[in-house]
Amino acid sequence: MSAAGRRVLVGLLAAGAGFAALAAVGLPAFYESFLYLIFSWIALATSWSFLSGYAGYFSFGHGAFFGTGMYTTAALTTMFGLPFLATMPLAGLLAAALAAGIGAVVFRVKRLRGELFGLLTLAVGFVLATIVLNTRIDGGPGVYLSAVPLPRLLASPTGTLYLLGLALAIATVGAAYAISHSRLGLGLYAIHDDEDVAELKGVPTLSYKLIAFALSAGVAGVAGSIHAMYVSYVTVGETFSITVPLYVVLMSVLGGARHWLGPAVGATIIASSLYVFTGGQQAVLGRALVALVLIVVILVLPEGIVPTILTRWRAWRPRPAEVFAAPAPAPVVAAPAAALACQDVWRSFGGIQALRGVSLGVAPGEIVALVGPNGSGKTTLINVISGYYAADRGRVTLGTETLTERPAHEIARLGVGRTHQIPRPFAHFTALDNVALAATFGPGRCPPRQARAEGQEWLSFTGLGRRAAALPHELNLHERKFLELARALAARPRLILLDEVLSGLNPAEIASAVRLIRQIRERGVAILFVEHLMRAVLELSDRVVVLNEGEVIAAGPPHEAMRAERVIEVYLGKAHVA
Amino acid sequence: MPSLTLLGQAVVSGLLAGGIYGLLALGLSLSWGLLRLVNLAHFALALLGAYLTYQVGTAFGMPPWLAALAIVPAFFLLGMAFHAVFTYFRVTELTSLLVTFGVTVILESLIQWFWTADYRRYETAYATASTRVGPLFVPTLEMLACLTAAGLAVATWAWLRFTYVGKALRASAEDPAIAAAFGVNHRAQAFLLSGVSAAYAGIAGAFIALISTLAPSQIWAWIGVVFAVVIIGGLANPIGALLAGLLIGVSESLTMAVVTPAWAPLVSFSVLIVILIARPGRV
Amino acid sequence: MLLEVRHLAIAYGDAPAVWDATLTVGPGEVVAVIGPNGAGKSTLVNTIAGLQRARAGELRFGGVDLGAVPAHLVCRQGIALVPEGRRLFTRMSVEENLEMGCYRREARRARAATLERVYALFPILRERRGQLAGSLSGGQQQMAAIGRALMARPRLLLLDEPSLGLAPAVVDQMFEIIRTINAEGVAILLVEQNVVRALEIAARAYVLEEGRVVADGPPAILRQQTRIREAYLGLQEDGDTHP
Repeated sequence: MSAAGRRVLVGLLAAGAGFAALAAVGLPAFYESFLYLIFSWIALATSWSFLSGYAGYFSFGHGAFFGTGMYTTAALTTMFGLPFLATMPLAGLLAAALAAGIGAVVFRVKRLRGELFGLLTLAVGFVLATIVLNTRIDGGPGVYLSAVPLPRLLASPTGTLYLLGLALAIATVGAAYAISHSRLGLGLYAIHDDEDVAELKGVPTLSYKLIAFALSAGVAGVAGSIHAMYVSYVTVGETFSITVPLYVVLMSVLGGARHWLGPAVGATIIASSLYVFTGGQQAVLGRALVALVLIVVILVLPEGIVPTILTRWRAWRPRPAEVFAAPAPAPVVAAPAAALACQDVWRSFGGIQALRGVSLGVAPGEIVALVGPNGSGKTTLINVISGYYAADRGRVTLGTETLTERPAHEIARLGVGRTHQIPRPFAHFTALDNVALAATFGPGRCPPRQARAEGQEWLSFTGLGRRAAALPHELNLHERKFLELARALAARPRLILLDEVLSGLNPAEIASAVRLIRQIRERGVAILFVEHLMRAVLELSDRVVVLNEGEVIAAGPPHEAMRAERVIEVYLGKAHVA
Repeated sequence: MPSLTLLGQAVVSGLLAGGIYGLLALGLSLSWGLLRLVNLAHFALALLGAYLTYQVGTAFGMPPWLAALAIVPAFFLLGMAFHAVFTYFRVTELTSLLVTFGVTVILESLIQWFWTADYRRYETAYATASTRVGPLFVPTLEMLACLTAAGLAVATWAWLRFTYVGKALRASAEDPAIAAAFGVNHRAQAFLLSGVSAAYAGIAGAFIALISTLAPSQIWAWIGVVFAVVIIGGLANPIGALLAGLLIGVSESLTMAVVTPAWAPLVSFSVLIVILIARPGRV
Repeated sequence: MLLEVRHLAIAYGDAPAVWDATLTVGPGEVVAVIGPNGAGKSTLVNTIAGLQRARAGELRFGGVDLGAVPAHLVCRQGIALVPEGRRLFTRMSVEENLEMGCYRREARRARAATLERVYALFPILRERRGQLAGSLSGGQQQMAAIGRALMARPRLLLLDEPSLGLAPAVVDQMFEIIRTINAEGVAILLVEQNVVRALEIAARAYVLEEGRVVADGPPAILRQQTRIREAYLGLQEDGDTHP
């Protein structure tokens, strides 16, 4: 555990001990209640942010999991006489299972992101409410829990719940810290910025989303379980109302949904302010005020309170630059060099045949240029090799491994890297973090420290050494292209796919890019690059493959291929062939 | 198994209820389909319209059609005002969902503040009037609402299909840059559309006041149904919205007749979930 | 001069696409812009049509400074665009697409007459007037896109890669039609990868390479220049590569 992590752990434990002691000494019931509610909201808001804040899948269904927990406890204690404490973990597990089930179906559907996911989760909450209302679980009149025995840990009746709530809050915030500093968190943040690219860099997006969703729901379930005993009279209307989904969104967004402490801060602020408005008409206005704050925050402070404060703080007192001990000299390639082979690859979109039986090969240390007119299928081929599209027919192999039929993140792990024509860095990650991510999830599977050290090395290699702490929007196009390149290289690929890496660069930048590509070749990497700039193609490539309308019409050493009749015809027209 | 008459009556009430769903879905379908903004506050707006109709009806004795005459233009302007705020803050599709979520709560709280959470019923002389068609009763007011819904749906469809503005709206929704290259002023149109959509919410509200009992929490009850209707009917498809509304209305009401009434909400939400997952291509 | 472009600079965010482009088109002239992929040809044409703003330089049409004209009013000046990749409104019918072409009020008045002329030029469109534009073949879509632009009764027609993705026979037809349109007095700015066709039809041509105009003049002179072979294939006449 890092020093910072130790500090956080100690801080959390101290806070926990402090609040527990407070209750043991004896708090007025009002304050015990008030604090319990804050703990409950902290747990709910923080758990919501696991998926929705870190990965950006805004869920409006957190209430459904909370309600599941509440009713699990209500049903199990009243109908089956189970002791309350035993129902707590069951509530959590049931909620987590529900989330996993939903996620297993929903996360596979690519279009269901953004607002559609939000709608879907909202609908799930309502469906659950209806089911609960109409079956024996509730049936309408609500469930009374006052007769359920509650273990007395402290003098007051609510004392137990206070302690349980406190424990849950501390555990959830601790989990938030752990997740956001772990590989899982890194992957989730990447998914937030650009899920497709994250997958292409080796992040197992489906499993990570499922894990985050299940964890988040599990905590909500446990919180619900405790809350059932707190309210002691559980009704569908109250449990599945719009309050929980709305407030957790607001609290997290206010405090900063991406930060581990953000939701807790937001929850404390909002829950405290709400308590100021007690019952009656004032509660109504209180809700309106809360919603107004939500709107203002979303529009004006999109990042949230905690990150905004941190950014100001860092601007005022910048961290000293990270110093890296020189990493052990890395092997030339992490895995045995391998050759790419495409055999008879076909791919169509709707009625258009984009690739017709394309076969080509790239040997380790070879640079092959892929050229052809617009619409000839070059980018489609790159997308098929990297796994973004599946091939309709044919095979792609890298060394002894077959790439076709594998998800993109597995292909990335086998050593395939790619750059995009329009650079797609992770917008919230610094240049160094962008590159380090690729090292973390690539075939090398580096631990964080080493990943960052390697990242620095690759940034220096591409000339961006001094820009390590910059965010992508602070870089110009040339720097972003090279960042893209550094990120692809950090995964130590055996095959690298370059998509028009030179477009938009001025001659001096092109010269340095060409030098870089040569150096990459010297490390034994197989290189396939798409390019329009003919001069560069001729200068760099060992072989050229010419595509036209999805077919290979020429392949061979540059001069031969570019002088082939068919090629000249395609580019310039018949008259020039003579 | 319930009698044929009962089933028939269920179908009738389903159709009529479906008409209201279609009416509500119309404005939402237009703004979501043509503007790419999800306006969750549409329902709150409709309910506000309902309460206003109720208020001027009971407090000032103004007949509902007169109230509508005042409400509709006011809502048109309100819709444009909302859009002005959206454009100023460059709201995107996801952000619009969150912001309108907030607006919905604000509107609901305002409604509750002025009218309390008690149920309100707009009593009119003709509330109980109904015509007999064979063994079936067709309540007049609801029939009127359904016919208005159908009329508006057809009128909107015709507007989109035949007028220049309608064609420009459709073109803009698909390719705003090229539409602009041929002279379509997207910004002005977006304002127009927001106004129209809000005006439709007002009309729906007037009918809701006449037909249902009003309570602030009603807003949330409709969300699932109407979103399901919008998505099933296809975005920016007025006739589709109407038909989907009728379909959902009838399935709900048949569910209520054959099984217990409380299961009815399950229908629309479940259909929504299934459609969201199964429907290929962009909604 | 109908269209005057002087020292135009265009960028996407901070990525420059066109540096210092200067060209002119006279009334009723056919002018071609040729050059390899990524040279900035489409960017230039899109800017003239109002889809983008130039960073620097002058853009005048019929004496009017287009830089000061809002995007949706550029069409009113008398410029119509046939975009790269057609970009028809696929969910609308062929006839509706054509009607969108004459959205501007002046053209709307003459709608019926212009529509007749377009159908006379492209009989296949009359046959398929009620069909969804997205269901047409590539060549038919290209005709529809040209027809849509003609409906605006432009003084200058901008054609961006009209032969892209089309079979050679269809391309022949296309260029015949372009000739016919020009014969009626419409000036044409043609962007093309297909150098041969472009030079056959144009009175003058500009060669754009990596965002800069590197050569211009009548086709006869340009054909003799090795610049074109270099730009497209990267080869000098003697087969050596460039440093």
